[in-house]
Amino acid sequence: MFAGTEGQLSPAQRAQVLHQFGLDRPLAIQYVLWLWNVLRGNFGWSFRSGQPVAGLLASRLPVTIELAVLSVGAAAAAGVPLGVLASTARSVRAKTLVQVVGLAGLSVPNFWIAVLLIIVASYAFHWLPALIFASPFAQPWVNLQQMLLPVLSLALGLAAVVVRMTRSAMLEALGQEYVRVARAKGLAARAVLLRHAMRNALIPVVTVLGLQMGYLLGGVVITEQIFGLPGLGWTLLNGVYQRDYPVVQGAVMLFAVMFVLTNLTVDLLYTSLDPRIRYQ
Amino acid sequence: MSDADASRGPVAARRGAPRPAWRARALRRTPVALVGAATVACIACVALAAPVLAPRDPVAQTATPLLPPGHGSLAGTDELGRDELSRLIYGARVSLYVGVLAVGIALGLGATSGILAGFYGGWVDNVTMRTMDVLFSLPALVLAIAITSILGPGVTNVMVAVGIVYAPTFARIARGPTLAVVGLPYIEAARALGASNRTIVLRHILPNVSAPLLVQTTVSLSTAILTEAALSFLGLGTQPPTASWGLMLSAARQYMLLDPWIAVLPGCAIAVTVLGFNLLGDGLRDLLDPRIRTL
Repeated sequence: MFAGTEGQLSPAQRAQVLHQFGLDRPLAIQYVLWLWNVLRGNFGWSFRSGQPVAGLLASRLPVTIELAVLSVGAAAAAGVPLGVLASTARSVRAKTLVQVVGLAGLSVPNFWIAVLLIIVASYAFHWLPALIFASPFAQPWVNLQQMLLPVLSLALGLAAVVVRMTRSAMLEALGQEYVRVARAKGLAARAVLLRHAMRNALIPVVTVLGLQMGYLLGGVVITEQIFGLPGLGWTLLNGVYQRDYPVVQGAVMLFAVMFVLTNLTVDLLYTSLDPRIRYQ
Repeated sequence: MSDADASRGPVAARRGAPRPAWRARALRRTPVALVGAATVACIACVALAAPVLAPRDPVAQTATPLLPPGHGSLAGTDELGRDELSRLIYGARVSLYVGVLAVGIALGLGATSGILAGFYGGWVDNVTMRTMDVLFSLPALVLAIAITSILGPGVTNVMVAVGIVYAPTFARIARGPTLAVVGLPYIEAARALGASNRTIVLRHILPNVSAPLLVQTTVSLSTAILTEAALSFLGLGTQPPTASWGLMLSAARQYMLLDPWIAVLPGCAIAVTVLGFNLLGDGLRDLLDPRIRTL
């Protein structure tokens, strides 16, 4: 029995469908039942396909995690070194340039970058990745090609934000007394910059990266839609378009879990970055 | 963002604008804010004067579809033969209208509940802030998508969704400074003089909260405009045939390899507008937050 055929159903069939999905009960009871089932690992059944939502989401989750991890990794790999480099230039002009670049990273919509990347890739390079999604374990090379443009579209803006954060955190660290001591005892400028200043500057950078995960997880939804990656965001949007509410509920729930877990990871990362911070 | 409230000391409840000359001088020292303000002012003028500025009707099919810029119309035509420039100009209206009203909802909901939570403390504080924490546990765009999927697509629902999504930020920002001043002697003095809670909140607490709220309002305008564009891009926001930048970009996806212009221009419009608000907000933060200014 598929939803979307309501108009052709007799009242008895309609009542039967509603009963089958538990939609004939009061909203509050539906919610409590849903919550109880979620706690036992049952996310309900898709209105469209009748498939269990838990299995559907579990199969889509790895794509989203891969996309998010690669994007954050790429943004950090590009942004942190550039930010450290930018911290060695102290002029007002350098400050303004980094400020504008960082704000531009926040301002340019990632779905527009995605569209531009597709145009550039197909016009200039006559290249577009394979359309059918390949798993990173079965076809790692094809998968990497498919991930290239989506990751770029998410990482470019984020990297600009990271450059700015890293620079201002580095400048604050470089102003500390221990940096002056390290310089006074004749350490090489490189060692002072990387071992003394950067270790400390990374703490606020990690915080911002963690906070940006929220922005990133939102961006993932659109990016997956544009590039046709069958991840959690793609599933969420198709759920919305098809009014498949159990799928929407489950996907939103998983996004929240991922978001909260990221923030927890960031908090735990502090202790290894900064031994002064201890959780009781 | 949240460190703005921690550093803020109490400001005596004074009426009128404090030291306008100092503000003007500082504004000149932050050219970035000026550029942002100028950009925002330009976009606002374009939005207000749209009927005068637009060369053609933004929803009328007036020429051959997918004309590149130049051939009789400055920015070419879209996939249905509508004038692209006119649609860009009218799109500014939608963006600003949705942005301003959505942030208004967020500010109203968030600031009110944040100030009341800080002022009354106890269970009011707990219930309010835990509700905000729940909203905070979702990525903004995902929450906005969830809300529009319940309310249905459309401009009004997008405004409500974005307003709810950004309310928790305002609540946290308003609560901090409120907590910082609520136990100070001058509040006690005001109460001893017989001032009502209403007077205390409006005249003695609000001035302490207004600076961080102003910064957050500006920054939120940029994210609200981005969220509207994203939701419209996904087909959940502004509905056709209204000219909205996100919607134009979404339609352009199918034709972008035939005519890249229709994919480039709306994105430019979004990026410039959002950057304008971000520059202004960043400059205002430098200006109004003395601790960050010294960095």
